[in-house]
Amino acid sequence: MITFNYIASFFLIALGFYTIVTQHNIVKSVIGLSIADYGVNLLIISIGYVPGGTAPIFTPGELTQASAFVDPIPQALTLTSIVIGACVTAMSMSLVMKLYDSYGTLDTGEIRRLRG
Amino acid sequence: MTDFLNYRHFPVYSVMALFLGGFLIIVLGNKKVLRNILAVLSVSVSLACMLALIKPVMIDGEIITYWLGNRSIAGGYAIGIALEVDALSLFFGLLISTAVFVSCIYSIQYMANDRNVSQYYTLFLMLSGGVIGLVLSGDIFNMFIMVEILTFAAVALTAFRNEAFGALEAAFKYLVVGCMGSTCILTGTIMLYAQAHTLNFAQLSALIPGNITTSGKIAFALLIVGFATKAFLVPFHPLAADAHGAAPAPVSVLISGVLTKSGIYGIIRLTYFLFQTISQSSFRLLLVTVGSVSMFVCVTMALAQHDFKRLLAFHSISQIGYVLTAVGLCSALGFSAGIYHAMNHTLFKGLLFLTAGAVLHETGTTNLDDLGGLSKKMPFTTALFLIGAFSISGIPPFNGFASKWMIYQACYQKAVETGHFGYLLVTIICLVTSILTLASFVKVSQSVFFGRLPEKYEGVKEVPFGMRFAMGIFAVLCIVTGLFPDLVGKYLTHPASAAAFNANAYIDAAFGEGYASSMLGPFASAAQDVVFDTAGVWSPVSWLILMMIALIAVTIAAVSGKYEKCSAAPEEVTDPKHELFFGGEKNRFSQVGGSDLFWGFKYNWRHYFSGMHDLHSGVLNDYALWAVVALALAMFFMLIVL
Repeated sequence: MITFNYIASFFLIALGFYTIVTQHNIVKSVIGLSIADYGVNLLIISIGYVPGGTAPIFTPGELTQASAFVDPIPQALTLTSIVIGACVTAMSMSLVMKLYDSYGTLDTGEIRRLRG
Repeated sequence: MTDFLNYRHFPVYSVMALFLGGFLIIVLGNKKVLRNILAVLSVSVSLACMLALIKPVMIDGEIITYWLGNRSIAGGYAIGIALEVDALSLFFGLLISTAVFVSCIYSIQYMANDRNVSQYYTLFLMLSGGVIGLVLSGDIFNMFIMVEILTFAAVALTAFRNEAFGALEAAFKYLVVGCMGSTCILTGTIMLYAQAHTLNFAQLSALIPGNITTSGKIAFALLIVGFATKAFLVPFHPLAADAHGAAPAPVSVLISGVLTKSGIYGIIRLTYFLFQTISQSSFRLLLVTVGSVSMFVCVTMALAQHDFKRLLAFHSISQIGYVLTAVGLCSALGFSAGIYHAMNHTLFKGLLFLTAGAVLHETGTTNLDDLGGLSKKMPFTTALFLIGAFSISGIPPFNGFASKWMIYQACYQKAVETGHFGYLLVTIICLVTSILTLASFVKVSQSVFFGRLPEKYEGVKEVPFGMRFAMGIFAVLCIVTGLFPDLVGKYLTHPASAAAFNANAYIDAAFGEGYASSMLGPFASAAQDVVFDTAGVWSPVSWLILMMIALIAVTIAAVSGKYEKCSAAPEEVTDPKHELFFGGEKNRFSQVGGSDLFWGFKYNWRHYFSGMHDLHSGVLNDYALWAVVALALAMFFMLIVL
């Protein structure tokens, strides 16, 4: 079951990169970045998964050797990663708006004044 | 109370001062004097903390481990976030905080007439804090966070003057490809976590090297490619060129002198500590190849440029190629030569970008075809530019010579040691690149500072004192580090190099004596002997052999060039500029502009140059494709060869 998560997460990362490489609309490039980011988030959360584990919240004395709980660190990492992903999207969309204002197009083939 | 002044706290102060300064500036808003004082104060505190650490870390050889919140190790696992400062971290921290300090002083007058200057300082301090945090961090996830902070700040600063030509475009391309790199770093980090269940760098360095699984190899490829995007190595160099051209000059100093160093630092930490793959000759060959290709491709790209800052940007990556090549040799001499060159690169490239900024500040352009004759109007800037140009071209007694000389020696030593022809070739590439660098700086000085002064620049004045002062600091440092290479070696590069070859000490500093050898078992690499037998010594025999290599290289180039000249039929000449001019009447096409000084060379190599020009198409999809191809090649290499 968890293997499916791993496959899906790497598929999402690859799909995101594929989108960036093949799509000529810069909004779609931003979407590609987000997709890759979701793939990484899925990977992180899957790594912390423990079969049959509960939420990692325990009061003192409640925790025994036998208690199974999911790894809390990847969950903290995912939160950080989600926040960063939101920032990437916000910032790149603001750049896209500015670019559209000054270039009048969203096509990567035309946004290439800097070259050579 | 005096415990606050214990030097063990200094690393965290150094990072906090910058972030706190950035926060306070945005809170206080547009109070001009207060804002400038705060910015200078926070970078000064950061620099002072770094300088104060020289004695305990560099001279006494202590490795400072600082657990945030005093949560250290429980049950054999690091549960807290650590800052770990050894000589290597401190070396990079020192050169970064110096560059940040100087460019902050320069910014005060350079940015005085811009809008939203307080936002500029906040981003500036965030970028600086991110890089310092990255090099002092002892936690791999923390490194990722710092990488994200510095990428964001660098993108925002690139687009800061968003009315400038190409600024938005450069920022967007950098953001997309940079974030692809960051995604790679995060994926690699989490794959390591899945294997070792820790994020502490020292503990990972103890657990991983003896036990590199398939997923470990993929993680390594992802991390290396991620940090290569931050160092702008080939094939990521077009991003650097775009970003530098548009960013304000003090930010170019940070991107070229500081941000690329963070990438190099990451690669060193990964290869020398975390995976210790540098001990394998095939991997050394990979690093040296990438370094040499970066070195050569970028210097030839620089020759074809007509914009001052874009040209400097390509040179910047070319010098980073030198650093990577020398570090990839994995000899004590090569490593200290590499980081010595990294330091010199920060100094002279910072100086050159600041002079380019001075030219832009006074004339409003950096186009080499428009400028000329500024030496009469800006003598001080011209003198400093020449110091920077001599340094980067490796002319004694400036600092570029000292480090490049060590790099040639290290490459040659490696060639003799291994009997591998490739390393001899690398030595030749190093020499040729240095010559081409000199050529392109002859071109720049001719077209910007000498020659005829265009009439529209008659009113140009020298830049204000604050900017001259900042440039002066870099120039003095360039000369000092060139004149006293033995002192630099003794106090800075040799301790850092010794630290890089002693991963066990780094691990033991965090986890107690003997932890590294118990975890690494038979894999434990004993501290490698750092031998500096030839460093800085003029050995006439090897000098002679190097001269002969250079002569042979020149002969081959001359012979092959002659063949091509014979085959080039005259009717191929389309531009009248390339026709031979035998004298007589003054031909109005026969004049060669300062920026076209090497047109003959460019003409002979026109197929190469036009091919390169077409490759650097400026289309985002192409650059993204290069990134993906680099990632695929890295994975292929790690899985098949390693």
